Amino acid sequence: MAHRRCLQSLVRHATALISLKKPPTLSTFEPLTSTPNPAVTAPNLEPTWFTTWSHFRHFSSSKSDDSENEEEVEESSDGEAEEDDEAAADLGRDYSPEEKEAEAAAIGYKVVGPLQRSDRVFKDYEPVFAVVQIGSHQFKVSNGDSIFTERLKFCEVNDKLILNKVLLLGSPTQTVIGRPILPDAAVHAVVEEHALDAKVIIFKKKRRKNYRRTKGHRQELTKLRITDIQGIEKPEIKTDGKPLKAAIKEPEKVATTA
Amino acid sequence: MIRVRPASLHKPFSSSFNIAVSFTVRVSASKMALRGVWQLKKLIVSYCDWGGSSRGIRAFMETELPTFKEKNPQLEVVTELIRGQHPHLKGFYKNKNERVVCVKNLTTEDILLHATRLRNALGRKVVKLKTRHVTKHPSVQGTWTTDVKF
Repeated sequence: MAHRRCLQSLVRHATALISLKKPPTLSTFEPLTSTPNPAVTAPNLEPTWFTTWSHFRHFSSSKSDDSENEEEVEESSDGEAEEDDEAAADLGRDYSPEEKEAEAAAIGYKVVGPLQRSDRVFKDYEPVFAVVQIGSHQFKVSNGDSIFTERLKFCEVNDKLILNKVLLLGSPTQTVIGRPILPDAAVHAVVEEHALDAKVIIFKKKRRKNYRRTKGHRQELTKLRITDIQGIEKPEIKTDGKPLKAAIKEPEKVATTA
Repeated sequence: MIRVRPASLHKPFSSSFNIAVSFTVRVSASKMALRGVWQLKKLIVSYCDWGGSSRGIRAFMETELPTFKEKNPQLEVVTELIRGQHPHLKGFYKNKNERVVCVKNLTTEDILLHATRLRNALGRKVVKLKTRHVTKHPSVQGTWTTDVKF
C-alpha cells in the first residue's frame, strides 16, 4: 500500500505539472508517468511522443488495459474509499458474475463451462509449447501436460478454462515472444482436481524463553490438464503410427463382434 | 500401449484377444487419470442416530445430502448406521484407494465441504509434490546444453 501511495503522490505531482500544458490528452496516461523524477521528464514530453510510446508498449490485451487505466483513475480520485470497499468485499464474499470474471481475468483465466461427455478435447501430443502465467507463477506447458496451480476460485472440477496470459509460444521451427503478452493466443485447459497439498509444519522457537509453537498448514491446489494451445501454426506430426494402428484395430474388432 | 489382461482368460484364445484389444482402446481414450472421468466411485456416510457428535451429520443428511446426490449422479452415496461410534465419511476411488474423514462434532457446512473435497480429489496418495509441472515431453526445441551454438 505504501508503494501505491507513493505512486499516487507522484502521479498527482506529474499531472499537476503536465496539466499546465495539456490536461485532457495526458490524463489517460497516468500509469506511464511513474518515472523516478517526473520533474525532469515531464516538461519535454509531447503528446505525440506519448501516444507512440503507449502504442509501442503493448502491455496486454485491450480489455485488461482498459481496466488498469480505470483502476488508476479511480484510485487517484479517492484511494481511501476504494480500500474500504475491497475489505468489505473480502468479508462478505458475495461476488456478482462480472466481479468473478474480472478476478479470474486478473489471475489469468476464464471459465468456459463444464466439460461434456461429447467433447473431444483430449488430443494427442503436438510439438508446440507455450509459457503461460497463472497468478504469479509461470508454466511452460504443452499439450497433455498437467500443472498444479494455487487454488483457482470460481471454477469446479471438470470445468473448461481458457488461460489468456500467454507470454511465449514455440514450435520446433518458430518462436513467438509476447511483449509481455500475446493478446490473440490462448491455452485451453480442464480442471482435474481441487486438492490439498501435503502438510507443512511451521515450527517457531525462541531460545531460552520456553517458547514453542507448532502449526500445520495444507495449501489448496488445483490441478489443470492442458488440452490445446492456440495461436501458433502446428507442424504435421511425422510419427502417426499409433493412431493408425488403433484405427486399423477398431474395425477389426467390430467385424468380429458382428 | 497399456497392456490389460482380461478377467476372462478361460475363453478360447481368439475371443480373449479381441476383448483385450477393445479394452486397450477404451482405456487409452480415458487415459486413467481424471480427463473427464470422476474418480470417486462411492461415498459412505456413516452416522449414529443417538450420539451427540453425530448431530451435525444428521442435519446434513436431512438438508444437504439429497442435493449433493442430485448434483453428482456419477456417485454412489450410501448411508450407514453405526451406533455408538463417531460419524465419518468414507470415499472409494477408482484406483482402489479409500479415504476416511472423521466428521464428529462438525457443522453441516463443514461436512459438506469435506464431502466436496472427497469428490474433487483424484484419490492419489498425499505426497509432497516434487514439481508442480508434470510433462511427458520436456522439450520441444531440444534440451539446451553448453555445446549448443546459436
